[in-house]
Amino acid sequence: MATGVDRKAASGTPRLRAPLLQRVWLHRVDYLYVAPALGVMLLVIAYPVYYTITLSFFKTSPSLAMADSAFVGFDNYATVLASDSFRDTTMNTAIWTFFSTLVSFALGFGAALALDREFVGRGVLRGLLLVPYVVSAVAASYVWRWIYHSDYGVIGALATALHLTDRPINFLDNTHTALASLIVVNIWKEFPFAMIMMLAGLQTVPEHLHRAAMVDGAGPWHRFWHVTAPHLRGVSVVTLLLMAVANLNSFTIPWIMTGGGPAGSSDIWITQVYQIAFGRVRFGLASAYSVILFAAMMALGVAYVRALGGAKSARAE
Amino acid sequence: METERRAKPSFACVDRRAFVAGSAAAAAWLASGRRALSDAKTGIDAATWTPSYITSIAGTVDIDTRAECAKVVPLDYKGRLTYWWNGTNQASPDIDKKFEAEFFQAFSETYPNIEIEKQNLDYNQMLDKLRTAALGNAAPMAARLPILWGVEFAAKGQLQEFSPADVGYPVEDYWPGAMKSVAWQRKTYGVPTNNETMGFIWNAALFKAAGLDPEKAPPTWADVVAYSKTIKDKTGKNGFGLVARANAGNTPFRFMPQIWANGGGALDEADDHPTYKKILLDSDGTKLSLQQIVDMYVRDRSAPASALTNTQTENEDPFLAGNLAMMIGHPLEFAYMLDHAKKATGADKPIADAVVADMRYGQMPMGKARRAVVFGGSNVHVFKPDVVDSGKVDTMAAKAFIAFLTGPEWSTKLSWDSSNPSNLRGFKSVWMKQRLAQIKFLDVTTSMLPYGIPFPVVPESAEIMNIVVPEMMQNVLTQKMSVADASAAAAKRVKDLIGEL
Repeated sequence: MATGVDRKAASGTPRLRAPLLQRVWLHRVDYLYVAPALGVMLLVIAYPVYYTITLSFFKTSPSLAMADSAFVGFDNYATVLASDSFRDTTMNTAIWTFFSTLVSFALGFGAALALDREFVGRGVLRGLLLVPYVVSAVAASYVWRWIYHSDYGVIGALATALHLTDRPINFLDNTHTALASLIVVNIWKEFPFAMIMMLAGLQTVPEHLHRAAMVDGAGPWHRFWHVTAPHLRGVSVVTLLLMAVANLNSFTIPWIMTGGGPAGSSDIWITQVYQIAFGRVRFGLASAYSVILFAAMMALGVAYVRALGGAKSARAE
Repeated sequence: METERRAKPSFACVDRRAFVAGSAAAAAWLASGRRALSDAKTGIDAATWTPSYITSIAGTVDIDTRAECAKVVPLDYKGRLTYWWNGTNQASPDIDKKFEAEFFQAFSETYPNIEIEKQNLDYNQMLDKLRTAALGNAAPMAARLPILWGVEFAAKGQLQEFSPADVGYPVEDYWPGAMKSVAWQRKTYGVPTNNETMGFIWNAALFKAAGLDPEKAPPTWADVVAYSKTIKDKTGKNGFGLVARANAGNTPFRFMPQIWANGGGALDEADDHPTYKKILLDSDGTKLSLQQIVDMYVRDRSAPASALTNTQTENEDPFLAGNLAMMIGHPLEFAYMLDHAKKATGADKPIADAVVADMRYGQMPMGKARRAVVFGGSNVHVFKPDVVDSGKVDTMAAKAFIAFLTGPEWSTKLSWDSSNPSNLRGFKSVWMKQRLAQIKFLDVTTSMLPYGIPFPVVPESAEIMNIVVPEMMQNVLTQKMSVADASAAAAKRVKDLIGEL
């Protein structure tokens, strides 16, 4: 619901901020509209977050009965942060998130640029490239497990048939290659998302600017760099942040394909949290871990909201 | 109801009364707590439970399940039960799927007014789901769990006290080792449904091709290492089907027998009088076992490279394709091979048929200390009302169902090719006789029962076996740690764990 205050701001007159209560009253209908959604969010998000933060300060009993739990202050956080496994897992998480996000984005962007041009079969190709995104992550993980299989995998069989190696390649049972192998699967699964987002972004680039640039003698690279890229800045940042958040939260592929192994080499924060909570029944410790993960996600969330604002500004310009 | 059909001279020692008398130790334990029972790890007398003895008692009694259950709960009882179990799946042999379907059909015919809401869960996911459900007060009223898991729920206070006597069966109808697995702090929290031990399986054709005696299993674990290398060197096929996936129950079931055989352990569960207070993960026996798997996997490369992500399921197809020579398994593996060989087509068919013909079972190899195998199985438990979905447990419906499930008939039929009846009268039933005739190698795996060692009966057992032990294996197999360091790290984890909880 537009207000007088907003209209003034939009029309360029000096922005006069009304008192808080007055602004709330002015937006009362808006608050009514969002109240049901807010209520549900409080129920399914706020309470679990509150409960998780509370648990993170307790040494919990396996039955989770708070009567049997002991307040330990920040001990759980100290235990998590001081553990060797946290250091290794954090490094794995950083590698997983960084490469999954960046390479997926680069591939998706490249595919979007290619598919933005008119050519025969473009529609079919768009559909085919979307397949990894719509395939269930569980099904994809099992299929890739067999593609990678260290004894009878398709890739290993091809490599030996072509005399590239003398034995099948050990992808998932090797501490040096397990994480990289999972990242490849994640990229395969995620890049169509970047492609869709960037294709949508490309639709917003005004055609007349391209034509004007061509008249001025700009080549393809200059048109991309000076016309296309500036228009895609906002959507790129949003896409990268959404993918980073998704990858930081990504559980299915690593859990199904390696369970974090071998020897913890593909363990990331989220699989570690699951393992501590449900495999080892340490809910207090797992909650502390989750709060750390939550803080990282919130940082990305704040960046996302700011980027959204930036994207709006860029469009307005 | 049972009636003795015939009494052979050799059967005199298993007369019901004699059996009751012979099981006095079990009964005594129930009165005096777990220490007394642990005197005889499983309570199964190796001299008695021989293949010939098992064959001699099969088919000697008649069972009337309906009449036995009617004594516990009237057949017209009206009620509702929610039930979770790890049952058959798409890959299960057809006979198992048939018996499972028949079981639920027979129950609904016997108790037409009891409604069962059932969930069949995957083995590797069931424990986490059940833990979460119980914490969220959404557990089923009854659940059939692998032998390792129940005590954790009992220790959390989530299970009701429940014993065979509650469903009309005397405690002495079950092996003492099985009763031990449903006990926590001198109270009984379930009824055994089936108990089994595994055997050592090999492909005789691959043994022959490698110049080994095709009719003899490797006598010791050191021989398994040597055989595995010989097979790899001579045939190019993988030797021993090592299983080392983390957080998968298959892993400890196959590695702990090797550790125990070599004189090691997780705790002191292999001792005649276990206290569960000694940690043996850093013992010489455990280190020797770790070194043996390192020799196979790292030095000789004679075990599948995929061992770190494999469960036993991933060993089955390579074995059927003649690409794997040795593995550890139940009689179920033979049923699986037979079933899948029948379904094989094209060029796969003759290969699969040949492997089935060349499949052999033997006793588990010896180690420096003993011959050992996990005393496995499942138990059925009843949850407390406050952790159950509706907040209520229909105890009568649970009793009716458990009486039906754990009686001689269905505890035999439901373990047809994979286990043994928990209810020892099942061994005397006509269905046991049919099984012995139908299921190849059943006598071999059953003859391993006296060598069975139960996992430690402590709430931390699932974590020790499913997480600590597999991670110790992965640490040495990936060469992330030396054998000494990995075993010391695992021992420290267990020490912290036992002290912490």
